[in-house]
Amino acid sequence: MKNKLIMFWAIVIIVIASIVTICVKPTKLGLDLVGGSRLVLEAQPANNAQVTPDMMSSLQFAIENRVNKLGVSETVVQRAGEKRLVVEIPDVSDLNQAKAYLGETAELDFRKPVMRNGEAEWEATGLTGKDLDRANLSSNATNGQWVVDLEFNAEGTKKFADLTKKLVGQPMAIFFNGEMQSAPVIREPITGGRAQISGGDQGFSVEEAKKMVDLLNAGALPVPAKIIEENTVGPTLGADSIAKSKVAGAIGLGFVMVFMALYYRAPGLIADVALIIYGLMLFALFKAIPVTLTLAGIAGFILSIGMAVDANILIFERTKEELRAGRTLFTAINSGFDRAFTSIFDSNMTTIITCTILYCLGTSIVKGFALTLAIGVMVSMFSAITITKNFMHLIFGTGKLKNPAIFGLRAEEINAEYQAVETKREKAKFGILD
Amino acid sequence: MKLKLDIVKNRFIFLALSAILLTPGIIAMIYSTVTYPTHTPLKVGIDYTGGTTLQYGVKQDVTNEKLSSVRDDLQKGGIDNPYLQIININSQDTDLKSILSIRTKFIDEKSTDQEIITNIVSKDFEGASLVQVDSVGPTLGSELFKNSMIALSLALLGIVAYLTFRFQFNYALAAILGLVHDTIFVLGVFSILGLFYNVQIDALFVTAVLTVIGFSVHDTIVVFDRVRENLKYYGKKMSFGEIMNSSINQTLARSINTSVTTLITLLALYFLGGVTTRDFVLAMILGIFIGTYSSIFFCSTLIDIWEDKKNSSAPAIAG
Repeated sequence: MKNKLIMFWAIVIIVIASIVTICVKPTKLGLDLVGGSRLVLEAQPANNAQVTPDMMSSLQFAIENRVNKLGVSETVVQRAGEKRLVVEIPDVSDLNQAKAYLGETAELDFRKPVMRNGEAEWEATGLTGKDLDRANLSSNATNGQWVVDLEFNAEGTKKFADLTKKLVGQPMAIFFNGEMQSAPVIREPITGGRAQISGGDQGFSVEEAKKMVDLLNAGALPVPAKIIEENTVGPTLGADSIAKSKVAGAIGLGFVMVFMALYYRAPGLIADVALIIYGLMLFALFKAIPVTLTLAGIAGFILSIGMAVDANILIFERTKEELRAGRTLFTAINSGFDRAFTSIFDSNMTTIITCTILYCLGTSIVKGFALTLAIGVMVSMFSAITITKNFMHLIFGTGKLKNPAIFGLRAEEINAEYQAVETKREKAKFGILD
Repeated sequence: MKLKLDIVKNRFIFLALSAILLTPGIIAMIYSTVTYPTHTPLKVGIDYTGGTTLQYGVKQDVTNEKLSSVRDDLQKGGIDNPYLQIININSQDTDLKSILSIRTKFIDEKSTDQEIITNIVSKDFEGASLVQVDSVGPTLGSELFKNSMIALSLALLGIVAYLTFRFQFNYALAAILGLVHDTIFVLGVFSILGLFYNVQIDALFVTAVLTVIGFSVHDTIVVFDRVRENLKYYGKKMSFGEIMNSSINQTLARSINTSVTTLITLLALYFLGGVTTRDFVLAMILGIFIGTYSSIFFCSTLIDIWEDKKNSSAPAIAG
């Protein structure tokens, strides 16, 4: 009984934490629910060169990387026509920032000084952003300015070492998107594969340096791309439809709860409470992770509510059977849970397997669905097994079944024409066949 | 109170019923594949064909006469085969009464089609505003389709592997066949809806089908789990048919109650929810209905028939 009480208070704490999370955190709604921006990018190679499908694949990859850097989920980068990408970004507060990320190339190259016709010029060395392993944001220890640390990959390290060996005593310039960032004088060969870009005399602002890091890490665009079309997509469902769906969802859920209470009586009411807690927990989790809710995501959510109710129904049906077989309340509740567990576990496992595969391979719409459903199913197992069981034990655990009607049973059903075989707890759990 | 179903005795009736449920849809899909220019079993939206959909918020009621006059104007303006649709929104928050959705071939940036269409619509409906533009390039569709198919196939393999591990291969096979049964039913109904009501499927529809698949397997497993348990305790006392029958009857209340609760939510969403999700919810309603049917009447029947085959080919054991 003591453990049960501890569990009860743990559930109370979870509920409070969920409510706080729901109040504090904003809900992330997808583009199809609230609208967002839709951008069309067009590849514009120099000298009107042919855009090959390969170029577009790598452009799409690079743009996807950049969009992901924005930290917005459910972004979509799709090809449209031969040389365009459609980028959909939900809920971007600063559209200009997003645009700056997308079209901008990230061409980093190192150049050496040469004398041509008596004038000093910078000449490409073949060491470029492609030789980078990664870039990091850091600050200069002496003057506190923001700098970009570069780490070369193996090949880059070798190239950089060779280059700096040749250039001892001379400056080497770092160009980013064709603009010289700095041109430090090489004092000795650098073999460690590391370099640093400082913003010259005035230094970088933190935004500038951070953007450069992100762009470098996302990779250069294989072909220059320009945003040729931009529009904000109005909500497909619309604020009005969201409101309608909320009402519909609430009414639907209300009917389900009434049904449960009428059919299963006291346990049904307990399941209703557990269902409310389940909803709160799931919604809090969605906000905490956070999961961007799209129409497809909401479908996953609804289905998981269906499965959460299902777990309770399975358990109660088993408990009723055990009661019919004449067991005491306590044993009936326990066996009901244990025997229903295999069904719940196996059916939910297949759902989770499906969701995992869909999440890994699906498009972003499908991903949203798979994620909400998988989270929902896992939380529903916890809810049915832990919360419902705890409440059942606290309320009925010690007593005797004096009034079968509270379980929706009639007195004459008890012990009538029924045989049941004792299920060993472990065996029931793992579904072992003799 | 006890509803006793004798599935085993009537198994061929249920298989026939499945055939009756599925056949119209299959015919519609074959007919559609042959007749549609896209050669697809369902009427596909721009997600799979490419194209542009322009949606205009309209403040007036849109009558059918008005709609066909817009269509005529568009064709005179050089827009080939525009597909027009009216979505009533009856919004309380805005003064928009409906949304006029116009689907055309893909409009690229060189084309002036969008301006032409906007001009025509604003002429016919005063104060109409472009609320949404959707454009999908023609090459994208097949790619999306291919990716969904790969994901789907792997998901099916995963389910088969898990069920084979937890149950037996023939149970896994029956569950998958049940799932195929349910998917064909839903696709078939939407194929028919496409033929008669111009219902088009989009990426959201595919998600609905995935939902149905999840539910279908879920339902089937609950029945199979009971069969597995009963086999363990009564396997020596009862025939497989008897075990199958009692397992189905024991899980019947659960199967029906679960479907009822889910259907309640979905029906509320269908009748009271937003218009744009209506087809999506309909697909799920159909799927959950057929999923419950197949787990009770179809999958178990298959297992029973296979078990019978196995036993009749094996030497009979006395007792």
